[in-house]
Amino acid sequence: MDALIAQADSIQKIQKKQKYAQEHLKSSSSSVKPSSSLPKPDNTRNSIAKRTNVPRSLQDKHELSNPGPSYKHIANKKLRTQLTRQSEQGARSKALLEDAEMLLMEDEGGMQVEGDMERTWRVAQSEIVSEIGQEAAKGRKEIRLDGGPYRSRYSRNGRHLAIVGRNGHVSTFDWQTGTVHAELQLEETCRDITFLQDHSFFAVAQKKYVFIYDRDGVELHRLKSHIEPTRLEFLPYHWLLASVGNAGYLKYQDTSTGQLLVEHRTKFGACETMAQNLHNAVIHLGHQNGCVTLWTPNLPHPAVQLLAHLGPVVSVAVDPSQGGRYMSTAGRDGTLKVWDCRNWKGAVREWSSRGGGDPVLEWSQRGYLAVASSGTVNIHQPPSIQTAFNAKVQPPLYMTHPIPHRPLTSVRFAPFQDILTVGHDAGLSSILIPGSGEANFDSREANPFENKKARREREVKTLLDKIQPDLITLDPEIVGNIAPPSKLTTETTFDGKPSKEIPFARLPRLERLKVSGKVDDGENNSGPEDEEGLDDETRRQRKAEQEKRKMRGRNKSLKRYLRKQRKNVVDPAAVAIRRKLERQREERRKTAAEADGSLEQKKPSALDRFKRKM
Amino acid sequence: MVKISVLQHDPSVHLPVRPGDPTPVSRNLNPLMHPFAKARERTRALNAAKMDRMFAKPFVDALEGHVDAVEVLCRRPGSLTNIASGSWDGGVIMHNLSTRSQIFNISQAHKGKVSGLCFSNGEGERLLSCGVDRNINLWAINEETSTTQKPLTVFPGKTAFNSMDHHRTDPLFATASNTVQIWDETKSAPISNLSFPTSTETITSVRFNMSESSILASLGTDRTFTLYDIRTGKAERRVVMQMQSNALAWSPTFPTTILLASEDHNLYTFDIRHLATPTQIYKAHVAAVMSCDWSPTGTEFVSGGWDRTVRIWQEGKGHAPEVYHTKRMQRVSSSIYSADARFVMTGSDDGNVRIWKAKASEKLGVVTARERASIEYRDSLKERWKVDKEVDRVARTRHLPKSVHQTAKLKREMLDARRVKEERRRKHTRVGEEKPKPERKKTVLVEQT
Repeated sequence: MDALIAQADSIQKIQKKQKYAQEHLKSSSSSVKPSSSLPKPDNTRNSIAKRTNVPRSLQDKHELSNPGPSYKHIANKKLRTQLTRQSEQGARSKALLEDAEMLLMEDEGGMQVEGDMERTWRVAQSEIVSEIGQEAAKGRKEIRLDGGPYRSRYSRNGRHLAIVGRNGHVSTFDWQTGTVHAELQLEETCRDITFLQDHSFFAVAQKKYVFIYDRDGVELHRLKSHIEPTRLEFLPYHWLLASVGNAGYLKYQDTSTGQLLVEHRTKFGACETMAQNLHNAVIHLGHQNGCVTLWTPNLPHPAVQLLAHLGPVVSVAVDPSQGGRYMSTAGRDGTLKVWDCRNWKGAVREWSSRGGGDPVLEWSQRGYLAVASSGTVNIHQPPSIQTAFNAKVQPPLYMTHPIPHRPLTSVRFAPFQDILTVGHDAGLSSILIPGSGEANFDSREANPFENKKARREREVKTLLDKIQPDLITLDPEIVGNIAPPSKLTTETTFDGKPSKEIPFARLPRLERLKVSGKVDDGENNSGPEDEEGLDDETRRQRKAEQEKRKMRGRNKSLKRYLRKQRKNVVDPAAVAIRRKLERQREERRKTAAEADGSLEQKKPSALDRFKRKM
Repeated sequence: MVKISVLQHDPSVHLPVRPGDPTPVSRNLNPLMHPFAKARERTRALNAAKMDRMFAKPFVDALEGHVDAVEVLCRRPGSLTNIASGSWDGGVIMHNLSTRSQIFNISQAHKGKVSGLCFSNGEGERLLSCGVDRNINLWAINEETSTTQKPLTVFPGKTAFNSMDHHRTDPLFATASNTVQIWDETKSAPISNLSFPTSTETITSVRFNMSESSILASLGTDRTFTLYDIRTGKAERRVVMQMQSNALAWSPTFPTTILLASEDHNLYTFDIRHLATPTQIYKAHVAAVMSCDWSPTGTEFVSGGWDRTVRIWQEGKGHAPEVYHTKRMQRVSSSIYSADARFVMTGSDDGNVRIWKAKASEKLGVVTARERASIEYRDSLKERWKVDKEVDRVARTRHLPKSVHQTAKLKREMLDARRVKEERRRKHTRVGEEKPKPERKKTVLVEQT
């Protein structure tokens, strides 16, 4: 038995032996003095260290400048180690992320002026085309088409373009190679078009319903529940097709299961303006009465409602470059506004558009704002367009381009390209906006060069990663974070000990009522203890206020409390309350008497301070 | 002059150079390029948890051959595939797990129940069996045994045997009857008797420690658990517990840890240096635990119970074990781990030996590198998101047979009622007079030396 016990602590045994050996050594040669302050070498660790260490070439050389919070207050050692390791890992990966920015290969486009008097907005498209290479100049195009004002939409990787004319001409094509996928003459009013998960499906908002076509233009579905749609948006990570129409209903259709997920009655009438926030999948609608509303599928009412303009809202766009922080709106009242989505107090910037016609807005991936109104397209640059500015003047222009074919009905930036496509009455024209596109795409998210196999692979992967629609919230960071502590908690503290959670079922009844918010604690609020330091005047005022705030009956809860008390039990609490009620009654009687003059009001004297306070 | 540059993607960088080459991958780790990264990862974790449950098909095979309940199973040391099983009908069968065939089958090894089996570890490896017919038989492991049905040697005993175990290195074995007896393989009578001085109980189970091989532990019907040392030939410690234990197993990696399967539905691990309290209580069975065995890694163990379930536990985690059951499996009277820790074998009252995977959703057969990588990714996702309510629910939920489920519910209700009653009683006694007793302190009644 003892042998076994000794065996179990074999490491300690070795140490003991060493200590003995050391002492022996010390006694034999007293000149050698081992430093006792040094930590003892761990034999077990040393024996395996050689074989288990990572080779020096592979060791992490990153010195953690900020190793994260210390968890010294956590008593559980296992949990503490885990948390420390986690935060270290987080800090390290953050540092590595910064390093990874060096590996980004491509550079953004841009324009740089050299002289003081030069302005970027003076540069015309013809100059840009002559300046840059032949291949890049291919982005500048004029497409002449009949059939009314055109709207366009790019696929998520920026490779494919879908266009729709008001009179029913629909076409999707690879705009870089010029391959046409589908060309349809629907011969009825078409109001909007959008690609679904990739270019193999697209949805068209037609005269009466929404229709879904495949890449070759074969009609696959008629979505009967979307009646008279005006605008379409596809939420790619949730696989939801959202439409809003003349009836003023916002409808979400799940394109992976085919179910109509939810329909929200907006109660604002016909709606012709819709935009999605790419970073939290919230739908922004602009209404006839000047309101902008933000919708999620799980709320039957708008998450945010905002009076943005004094006339109908004609265009809404959300900035994808800052994580969806900025929204811009345009109204028929001739003003353009940029809003901060975290703080709706007022617009960040506000200016009025020139000329007639409804402005159309769009943000690029790098935060350039395009405003198309009355025959010109104006581009504003990011830092100035998003900084607060009090004066209602137009922000500095980056570029401007006249288009003679009014009205201009849509502006779309091509993802990962410096191209802006403007749809107008006579077709479409794409212009070059240097610096507007994100240079480095991530081929796991959206790859302009992906082949058929990769596209199929990605389709399956994204379908597996489909996020449930009830996770759409204004704050997308809510997933994976710790829930805020509930206000109705069962946590209690006992005489200075750390607070402790007691299960609901094991609480006493009064506590349980308190936790579920059902307790009537009216009697606790009128505590006279804290009013010691106040003078009579303020006290009277406060009392009068309290009296006024009370609608009906005086102190009903106290009386009810007394009634519920059994009469034959002498309870100190009940006695105190009875005394207090008595006192209140007396005081009321006295003030009433003073009011009608039967009792003359005493002048305040110096001896009042010795009177017993009530 | 204005310097103008327009973004251009060079196709030669982003397209494969030759047909058949892999497409180049370009990454941009800017979080703004990856919206909903966390939400998508959560979906992936949820899918991983669901896939884990979908692939959970633990049952591998059932080995037939016994006509009555299987009482005892034994793993052959140094072999991955061979196990022996003994039954209430007196038959002993040696199975080959990989071919699922019988190496030999002795239909009448003993009259009545075969109560103990172990392999000797001398040259040529023999099998020892003991039974309630008061004999210990030594069998050769070959085809001939099947035909002759004759043991090599018979060691006659005085009383019926309940259990036996072989010494790790020496040609010694121990049997349990009314005392613990130590036998030499070459001698026909026991070389020593071990018993606790005052005990009059029947010993039900005996096991040698694997590292400190002269230590052995036994269980008795007086709700006791006794430790002996064969070098001193004495019983060293004895612990009397609240309820009787049915089986015990020494940890293969921690020599001081011992596992007891108790009649009170729980399993206990003890550190034998400190026998006053168990180091951990394992609660999930809803009837008596009949058998237990450690995995060779010492991080898991298996237990089989009277409630017709097999449970696989993590060492140190006293709740929510993996649970296996089938419609046709009856009371599980014996359970062992395979030597590679990948499989679990159980013998039950229906006369079958069943083979289960130790990890329910593990894939058998060749796993490619890609598959391995994705399995590891899924595992880490599950680990990372286990605090998520939904993921946790999917990972934790197990379907149980109705009888087990109802019994568990009833048991929970009874325990709750007992707790409440205890609390009320304490509330109405004088303050500080009666303190709640920790669960661990309730198990051991007395420790004797």
